[in-house]
Amino acid sequence: MATLGRLDWYEIARTTNWTPKYVKEDELFPPEMAGSMGLPLTAWEAYDEPYKQTYPEYVKVQREKDAGAYSVKAALERSKMFENADPGWLSVMKVHYGAIARGEYSASTAEARMARFGKAPGMRNMATLGMMDEIRHGQIQLYFPHEHCSKDRQFDWAHKAYDTNEWGMIAARHMFDDIMVTRSAVGVALMLTFAFETGFTNMQFLGLAADAAEAGDWTFSNLISSIQTDESRHAQIGGPLVSLLVANGKKEEAEKLVYIAIWRAWKLFSVLTGPIMDYYTPLEHRKQSFKEFMQEWIVTQFERALLDLGLDKPWYWDNMIAEIDTQHHGMHLGVWFWRPTVWWNPAAGVSTEERAWLEEKYPGWNESWGKCWDVITENLIEGKRELTYPETLPLVCNMCQLPINTTPGPAWKVRDFPLNHKGRTYHFCSEGCKWCFEEEPERYEGHLSLVDRFLAGMIQPMNLGGALQYMSLAPGEIGDDAHNYAWVDKIIAERFKKAG
Amino acid sequence: MALFPLVSNVEEDFVLQLLPVDTENTMDEVAAAAAYHSVGRRVAARPGKILRVRRQGSEELLPRDLRVSESGLLPMECIEVVWEAPHAGA
Repeated sequence: MATLGRLDWYEIARTTNWTPKYVKEDELFPPEMAGSMGLPLTAWEAYDEPYKQTYPEYVKVQREKDAGAYSVKAALERSKMFENADPGWLSVMKVHYGAIARGEYSASTAEARMARFGKAPGMRNMATLGMMDEIRHGQIQLYFPHEHCSKDRQFDWAHKAYDTNEWGMIAARHMFDDIMVTRSAVGVALMLTFAFETGFTNMQFLGLAADAAEAGDWTFSNLISSIQTDESRHAQIGGPLVSLLVANGKKEEAEKLVYIAIWRAWKLFSVLTGPIMDYYTPLEHRKQSFKEFMQEWIVTQFERALLDLGLDKPWYWDNMIAEIDTQHHGMHLGVWFWRPTVWWNPAAGVSTEERAWLEEKYPGWNESWGKCWDVITENLIEGKRELTYPETLPLVCNMCQLPINTTPGPAWKVRDFPLNHKGRTYHFCSEGCKWCFEEEPERYEGHLSLVDRFLAGMIQPMNLGGALQYMSLAPGEIGDDAHNYAWVDKIIAERFKKAG
Repeated sequence: MALFPLVSNVEEDFVLQLLPVDTENTMDEVAAAAAYHSVGRRVAARPGKILRVRRQGSEELLPRDLRVSESGLLPMECIEVVWEAPHAGA
């Protein structure tokens, strides 16, 4: 039987808005769930999604795609990739799976909110497929690391991390809960799909896929490239919404939510993605620096997307561009120094050749971050490893929940950005995080950072052991240097050679 | 005598850290406590120089024998701990 082409019937089938008779429009689409900004149902019908797909097409394409990823995994299961991979690369996978896999399920609830409460029929259709995408991404990113659990308990954190109070996980959850779990359909479309998935997931998934392919990890490379093709489809939910809001005089409202999400995503990427690209990925397999990826995917492409859709650049754009040079170096140093508190083994990434690469990519690195690493390296050379561990907590930001840090050394710029609100002092890492809080203080004011919890006596005993227990880090899971300090032996050998 | 939490920002270090001190500690003792978590760990020691305490954003160094309880510092206030040649303003 001849069937109509998709475009011959899609728009008719998509037209699923109706005039409710038995309930009011606001009961059908409660404003707090729809986030409709007072725009009537008819205004939303102008929404036209750029990527049109039907359910049968979706099932056919996804089935083939997932079968491809699963078959690559099956074919390579005996390849000894795990045994042969650089330990830094294994850490990349552990960070990625722990921070992302369960978050995909949260994302599916966010997509479901758009599928139910989005007032634009096209948005509902795309979000239905997006919801299924995220469920599949959760499943596949839990299944793939599972084969490594028997060899390395840290891989168990792919499933475990999201339920813990590990500090990095508190940060990831705080951000993802903010932009996707606790927002309206419009909020999710602007913050998750437009702000986060358009730029940031592109970078995480395509950037890491490139590094994975270079590292010979075809399973991981294939998996995350496959995921990204879904992301780049459902990420397009936000674009036409931005145009619609601008056309209906809601530009400022749209900008506010987009700006908060971009800033928050940037901060999380500075701790999760920056270190793995510039420090954990073995030097010979690095495709580009984190800064280069950020400039390409976020600064250039995203800036164009914002302007094309009629939004202005965020007020903090120059601050963010400046931070791209610096922030992730401090995040990395912090993660490495507080390494017992993470579920992976951070690779220091500061051998002589790696430092030369860092200096080339980030001129001035040796005179700033390098100064701190000089002290750490000398302590390790002299056998004083105990001085390379922390004995107190870093102060974490009350917005991004990450250690408050920036450039050390002679150009020392570290400072607190405090705010007194209703008698409580909140600490922030930047004007950006403080601004997010001030825009919607009632959303955030009740949250306690890890340091707030410590001071409130919620972490007992009040020492490293108590903190590790609070973070659910069991023996065999706590992090240590990925290469077991082999890079220090190399530096010692270089010095001997130089001395003749 | 009571536990008093401060936030320490040691010159040339990269991160703010929680610094539990005592209300009876002098600023020299506060500086030493801050140094314990930074100097020799990520900040190189500077022989011949001492560390002094000031409030964030202020150039004025707090007197070395001033006690926390007399200083006006608030709990969890961020203090800057900076290097100084001992003869200057000691």
